[in-house]
Amino acid sequence: MEIQTRNEANTTVITITGRFDAVTAPDYEKKVQELIVGGDIRIVVDFAGLDYISSAGLRGLLVTAKLLKAKGGQVRFANVAGTVKEVFDISGFGTIFQMDATVAASLAAIA
Amino acid sequence: MLRLPGGAVPGKSSIVIKLVLVITLCSTLIFAVALGYNYYSSRSILEKELESNARNLSLSLVNRVETELSVVSRVTEGVARALETGRYSEKELHTLIRTTVEKNPEIFGSGVAFEPYAFSKTSRLYAPYYYRENGKIAFTRLDTSYLYVPYLLWDWYQSPRELGRLEWSEPYFDDGGGNLAMSTCSVPFYGETDGVRHLKGIVATDITLDSLTKLVSSVKILKTGYAALLSRNGMVLAHPLKDAVMNESFFSIAEARNDPSLRELGKKMVAGETGFIRYNSLVGVRSWMYYAPIRSTGWTLAVLFPEAELLENINRLSLIMGVIGFAGVLLLTAAVVYIARSITKPLRSLAEATHVMASGNFDLELPVVRSNDEVGVLAQDFQVMKESLKEYIKNLTETTAAKERIQSELQVAADIQASLLPRQFPAFPERSEFDIFASMDPAKEIGGDFYDFFFIDDDNFCFLIADVAGKGVPAALYMMVAKTLLKSEAQRLGEPDQILAYVNKTLAIDNDSCMFATVFCAILEISTGTVRFANAGHNPPLVMDSQGVRYLTLKSGFVLGPMADTVYETERLIMQPGDTLFLYTDGVTEATNLTDDLFGEPKLLNALQDGPRQESDQMIHAIRDEVTRHANGAPQSDDVTMVAITYRGTVV
Repeated sequence: MEIQTRNEANTTVITITGRFDAVTAPDYEKKVQELIVGGDIRIVVDFAGLDYISSAGLRGLLVTAKLLKAKGGQVRFANVAGTVKEVFDISGFGTIFQMDATVAASLAAIA
Repeated sequence: MLRLPGGAVPGKSSIVIKLVLVITLCSTLIFAVALGYNYYSSRSILEKELESNARNLSLSLVNRVETELSVVSRVTEGVARALETGRYSEKELHTLIRTTVEKNPEIFGSGVAFEPYAFSKTSRLYAPYYYRENGKIAFTRLDTSYLYVPYLLWDWYQSPRELGRLEWSEPYFDDGGGNLAMSTCSVPFYGETDGVRHLKGIVATDITLDSLTKLVSSVKILKTGYAALLSRNGMVLAHPLKDAVMNESFFSIAEARNDPSLRELGKKMVAGETGFIRYNSLVGVRSWMYYAPIRSTGWTLAVLFPEAELLENINRLSLIMGVIGFAGVLLLTAAVVYIARSITKPLRSLAEATHVMASGNFDLELPVVRSNDEVGVLAQDFQVMKESLKEYIKNLTETTAAKERIQSELQVAADIQASLLPRQFPAFPERSEFDIFASMDPAKEIGGDFYDFFFIDDDNFCFLIADVAGKGVPAALYMMVAKTLLKSEAQRLGEPDQILAYVNKTLAIDNDSCMFATVFCAILEISTGTVRFANAGHNPPLVMDSQGVRYLTLKSGFVLGPMADTVYETERLIMQPGDTLFLYTDGVTEATNLTDDLFGEPKLLNALQDGPRQESDQMIHAIRDEVTRHANGAPQSDDVTMVAITYRGTVV
């Protein structure tokens, strides 16, 4: 999985591509922790390039969301679709995370 | 431990052989070049020396011959001049001639031959001649002793008469003079009548060539070298080959040998040239020849140096040098072998030690190398390497042992985990209302899938399937807790939504690491076939009824564990006798093959449609086989867990 970050409208947009599984989840957690330490607590995760998410990936999302919540931050997911969307639906993650159709919508919602 | 192929015995390309070959060949080459150059330059120096020696020798010989001849020339000239200036009576003439012969031992005979009527008006020819015979002076008259051809016609008379100067005759054998090679020095003398100078006669002095040939023959050069004398016409006058003397001329020899170059050489000699040439002598010996003219007679003197004898010293010297060089090369080779061996001996023993080490024995003592050279450094480094390797392997062995211990403990844990799941089938042989079959194939790593089934009471049968996020020991521990809680709470609460909610609340306490499990929990009311179920984020099960095979529509519900206040909902499904509910974890649908293609839900659906439906155990085995076929050897990355329950209906 590749993780790229950029700053847009005072918010950090994390783009994840590839597979989000037990192997790559620690990278994601580390990245978000770095952002939080750096004071970036408004985060939009762009799922457009993500092919697969495993339960370990879901756990990674939970861990980081919990950390952000503790710091008073926010996270929104954009472009969750396809098999990843199915996993979100089945696992109920779709009901607890705030999801938007586009990054722009997420950015607008977070502002 | 890696074992190197082949032995440690060095082959043909061993250092010793290489060194010996290279050094021996090089030194032999250098020596051969030096020897060759030495031979060549010695030879050319020798040839230069030879030329000057030959010239000196020839000239001194020429001088000596000229000296002897000039004595005779002067005496003859003296007689002629005396006859021109004084008037000699017949008696006085005889005395003059006789005295001339007597006083000059080199002279064989001397005579005065007059022009016709020049001596006496009465007699036409007059030629008194005194000569030596048996140690005495004898007398004869040439005008009478030449019986058939008068002396006037002979060369010795004709040449000086026509040329008007002293002439030496071509050497000849004297018929009467004891078979000796002779040459005649003839000088014309003149008289004056009425102021007109006219030839009166010829003074002729004969010498034997005996002393000259002895002089020339006495010259010995090296062992077989010699000097030779040739006449103006190329006649051999002096030569060690006695048969050739006065018999052969240079030109007849050239003819006999059919050698044009020899003829050319003869021409040059006759023309009075000087030269230094390579030449095959009359006796067939390759020689160097120097030739020079004797001016007064037009003869040629030649000295010959046999080449083999000339080069004898050089050849001997070269031979000795060759022997010394050969011995030197042998000595050098021995030295090289010695040094190379002394270098390679420790290398060889190191190589042998390496060979032993290569088979895994690090306890052997390395050979001691005391030298301070590169080999010594190598040996020391080798010692250090051996110790490091030994230490490393010791550590590796310990680490491996520790890892193996952990591995075996994990295996035990996996076994315990598996043993916690009900594995006795048929599980409830006394209950004909339903049958249930389940299987869990763990992935290599200990994982978190589990299933469970048990009676809550006589009519309510609880069955569930769950998948803990992640793998390894944390997942396994979490699974234990979840499974234990689920069973106890199910038996206590009896309703799926409450069971999940309660277990979730318990698991969520202090769950900082956000571990979670997806759980599908269902309770079959055996008497009615009603299934009450609730889902915590698990894959929907499949329903197999008279309509066919389909996914159960359900409310997802959030996974169990992360959030304490999650609410679940109990839904209902009525099972008719023969209907089956198939529960599974994503280890089934996400099984991959070598090209990472998922087994997938459609394939599962098809497999269930096409597979056996009567017995739940056969159904599960068939699906398992399909999954294995799909994986096609690709390693199993996740636990593969399935539960199938078939409702048979109540016994009437």
